[in-house]
Amino acid sequence: MPEINMSKAINNALKHEMERDPDVFILGIDVSGGMMGVTAGLQDQFGENRVRDTPITESAIVGAAVGAAAAGLRPVAELMFVDFIGVAMDQLFNQAAKMRYMFGGKIKIPMVLRTTCGAGMGTAAQHSQSLEAWFMHIPGLKVVMPSTPYDAKGLMISAIRDDNPVVFIENKMLYFTQGEVPEEAYTIPIGSADIKREGEDVTIVATGQMVSRALNAAESASAEGISVEVLDPRSLLPLDEGTLLESVRKTHRMVIVHEEVKNAGSGAEIAATVGEKAFGYLDAPILRVGGPFCPIPFSQKLEAEFIPSEGKILDAIKTVMKS
Amino acid sequence: MKLEKDDLILLYRNMVRTRKLDELTIKGLQEGKVLSFYHSGQGSEGLAVGSAACLRKDDYLWGHHRGHGIGYLIGKGLDGKAFLAEHYGKVTGSCLGISGFHFAEPEYGALGAAGTIGSQFPISLGWGLAAKKTGKQQVVLACFGDGGSNRGTLHEAFNLAAVWKLPIVWLCDNNGMAQYTPIKDTYPKDDIADLAGGYNMPGVVVDGMDIMAVYEAVEAAVDRARAGGGPSLIEAKTARYRSHSEGSPDVSHTVTRSEAEIAELKKRDPIETFKIKLLKQGVLTEEMVDQINKEADEEIIETEKFSLDSPPPEPSILNKLIYAE
Ligand SMILES: Cc1ncc(C[n+]2csc(CCOP(=O)(O)OP(=O)(O)O)c2C)c(N)n1
Repeated sequence: MPEINMSKAINNALKHEMERDPDVFILGIDVSGGMMGVTAGLQDQFGENRVRDTPITESAIVGAAVGAAAAGLRPVAELMFVDFIGVAMDQLFNQAAKMRYMFGGKIKIPMVLRTTCGAGMGTAAQHSQSLEAWFMHIPGLKVVMPSTPYDAKGLMISAIRDDNPVVFIENKMLYFTQGEVPEEAYTIPIGSADIKREGEDVTIVATGQMVSRALNAAESASAEGISVEVLDPRSLLPLDEGTLLESVRKTHRMVIVHEEVKNAGSGAEIAATVGEKAFGYLDAPILRVGGPFCPIPFSQKLEAEFIPSEGKILDAIKTVMKS
Repeated sequence: MKLEKDDLILLYRNMVRTRKLDELTIKGLQEGKVLSFYHSGQGSEGLAVGSAACLRKDDYLWGHHRGHGIGYLIGKGLDGKAFLAEHYGKVTGSCLGISGFHFAEPEYGALGAAGTIGSQFPISLGWGLAAKKTGKQQVVLACFGDGGSNRGTLHEAFNLAAVWKLPIVWLCDNNGMAQYTPIKDTYPKDDIADLAGGYNMPGVVVDGMDIMAVYEAVEAAVDRARAGGGPSLIEAKTARYRSHSEGSPDVSHTVTRSEAEIAELKKRDPIETFKIKLLKQGVLTEEMVDQINKEADEEIIETEKFSLDSPPPEPSILNKLIYAE
């Protein structure tokens, strides 16, 4: 199997789907060139009508996607940074998410909103956030967050074929991570978690950039005799409760790691779900490791401090093992 | 297209039907049958019916919220049954009683309505893109109020529609009021149509109380859009006879609008003025007018009965429609 990076893997998925379905089209700022190359080259193949460069007009980008989807097309809109969603939020949470329900099921909104998240590139307070919890709160949306090139391709194909609005969040630090990706089209169901490493003593739930850090922490823990299971939900809405609960019933301990600030992040929902449905299986309180409750700072050392480190994850593992 | 005698009579009839349905909806609200807001469309029937008469059934329509857009849909061929039932919260409503006052009628190209004023601007772009792609010369009629024109989304949508030459007719129902706020305090010029120049599209002002003026302006813009000429802006000067929404005070800021002021507005009534015109032209006779009114009254009785007799939706659908399978 060829090894490609995540940017290429998503590009690959877009190309497959655009070849398969003439209703699929892309719109966003500078998508002909493509942020991080994700959409690069597609305009050459599919033309300007299917890969539409837009002005800086986020309400119109998301809104046009909503309208086009309602009218039967399958838009993939790009929002350069998830931080910009505030500019277009009404179109997403009041319109896209609600239209099917409001209109008695008579309309569907098959659109994908691709966006980037995450700190680590020195992009500071307004270009680095992780806001997945905002979207998880809204009935009608789906929220997908891949951590590997393989998952990204399969999930993107599923997202495009899905008849609902899917927010597809790409951690920008992962674009250049390599991984094996089949050349042909394949799908990964939205709402299916993946066990990235099997273990017995503690479950780490990790998303995006945190998955590889969790895996490294798991490796360090195993040197100290702790067997760690690493679970990547891959989609946060819907959440694969089955896999989550099964894992905690086996390990009896849970640490949740995400790059969002810890306060009211996606981990709060995951912890509450486990608390409600598998409390009796827990041998220790669930611990969350997330960003500190502050905007993301620019200076390199401070930014590094913001992002949950392997060390902090390892500390949390050891803490839950003590009780 | 030159309107034949029958077309003119239909325009008149549809305005009468729209007015009577409006009155019925107000009555329903007063009787507690219509479940929440109603924003009467009295005064804007000519705009709604006249503009929609320029559309094909497969054209996209975002009606203005006066009368909750029903005048436009009546102009496009729908009757009021599903509309009223929706407002009663009944399962036979346009959207199973789930939507209420922001309903859609997909079969009539009305793919949305939004509680957030101005949200239709960007969404209309998507419909325009879809219309362009099918190659069937469909157009989008996207309506908004003078208040809605203050939203930033207007700029984004006007701009992109013009850049992409989308087949959209932007139609402003300027009744001079946005809830309690008069336009003189929200917009620095006389005409919203003046905005068009900034986007290199035609912008015209019409008397929105004159259904023929509305029809002619919208028809020209629709023709242009169908032919690939891109978007246009039409501003129709209308009047709002009643308060912003039923039961709310009829004020300009804090000052109650006087009866004399409303009476002045009603002198331009689109239904009455058109009737007089058609009577003069011999298109209508007094007997025909009576007959049209009688039929509209009968339709209203049926519409009300249909809504009353319909059941509400089952609670079991509460969380069933959120996602498409
Ligand atoms: C984004 C948003 N802000 C405020 C409101 C409340 N609101 C509903 S209608 C309205 C006035 C709209 O005025 P206009 O667009 O001129 O239309 P009109 O009601 O006069 O026909 C207001 C303020 C809303 N629904 N959405």
